[in-house]
Amino acid sequence: MNCGEGIDTRQIDELFINLDPIQAGGRLTTDAMKAVLAYGDGYSVCDHCTKPFRLDHISKPPLAEFHRDLASFLNMDVARLVPGARRGFQAVASALVKPGDPVLLTAYSHYTEFLSVEQSRGMAFEIPADDSHIITPDGAAARIEEVIKTTGKTPALMFIEQVDYQYGNQHPVSDLIKVAHQYDIPVLCNGAYTIGIMDVNGKELGADFLVGSGHKSMAAPAPSGVLATTSEWAETVFRTTGIKGDLTGRTFGVKEVEMMGCTLMGVTSVGMMASFPHVKRRVKEFDAQVQYVNRIVDALLTIEGTKVQSEYPRKHTLTRMNTTDSFDTVARTHKKKGFFLTSALRERGISGILAGSTRVWKFNSYGITSEQADYIAESFIEIAEKEGLACSR
Amino acid sequence: MSKRSVDAVFQGLYLLTDIRGMLRDTVPYHQLSVEQKKEAEKILGKLEKQIAILKEELLA
Repeated sequence: MNCGEGIDTRQIDELFINLDPIQAGGRLTTDAMKAVLAYGDGYSVCDHCTKPFRLDHISKPPLAEFHRDLASFLNMDVARLVPGARRGFQAVASALVKPGDPVLLTAYSHYTEFLSVEQSRGMAFEIPADDSHIITPDGAAARIEEVIKTTGKTPALMFIEQVDYQYGNQHPVSDLIKVAHQYDIPVLCNGAYTIGIMDVNGKELGADFLVGSGHKSMAAPAPSGVLATTSEWAETVFRTTGIKGDLTGRTFGVKEVEMMGCTLMGVTSVGMMASFPHVKRRVKEFDAQVQYVNRIVDALLTIEGTKVQSEYPRKHTLTRMNTTDSFDTVARTHKKKGFFLTSALRERGISGILAGSTRVWKFNSYGITSEQADYIAESFIEIAEKEGLACSR
Repeated sequence: MSKRSVDAVFQGLYLLTDIRGMLRDTVPYHQLSVEQKKEAEKILGKLEKQIAILKEELLA
């Protein structure tokens, strides 16, 4: 069934339990799907845009109120919608990093954080992880000292992940920020895997900038996200335009330079806003989601040779497994080779794990029910037993 | 302009979206609980009303 010429109707989330590492938290709520139907046209939020002609001032649909609510939800002073977390990184780096400035990232920083530094012509320095795949305050302090010593400059900015994309581990953000602030380094906390699924309190963390992803963790269409900051930094990162056309004398009102004016002018902002009441409720229910992922991991660990590479017990639903000594031993002789596992899961109505993976792979169980968690756990064991792997349940 | 038919289209789409949400909540086998079946019945009843409105507005 097509939804346009040559465009198949996507039915993954209607037909399968979707464990895709990057898709789970961005699955739309029913209200967001309705918003998509009503606000799919291009500049659909601009029907009632009046002076000063900026997205965060529009009151119908209630985007102005949504911006205030978002800031309050994150316990920050000011928030703006951005087209994805990456555009939040870009805005902050563009405002704070000058050519040649050192910038701290971590061993688990997303590539777009690096690109934002590159675009600002900064120099990237990574804070290493420890043996448990955690970025530690001691590691950060040592790296800051080293960078200052070698470059003669204090880093202009530090990026840290609250939960990283590689292991889904939670890092001690609050302590890392305390270290950075001892050197007067402003900190951007990347909450792409936390904001919208876990309670995140910016002031409690001490973050100067909080960045979230709408399509990754706030049940919103892509590209969407949020950049929130304190009143101390708001004027820097949300500076308004001062440029003037030399021939026409035109000026551009209160458009914000780093935002490139208005950001999400249609379905993305309204989709995000429609999901927001659900998002506010669901962050309070994250503990149940953590229980469910641990149930799945526990089941996987009963399969001989299986290891969990993420911190365990799990504190987040994004999880990295190593099944080199279990499922991959089957793949070596199976007629479907490495594809046997994802194929067997698909037969059971489970999708989202990278096709062909039997060594190191990730899944994200966010958004499932207790019954679905049991079903996934049982499915992994059933597949293992069918293929002759020993299980200790 | 038939505002009534436009409303019926959106209302119908929203009701179908509620069914879509139900399908998503119950993957992979879509085995509805007693409550979910009652809810689905209610939604489908409302959907039939919207379709009746559309027939009345557009085909009469």
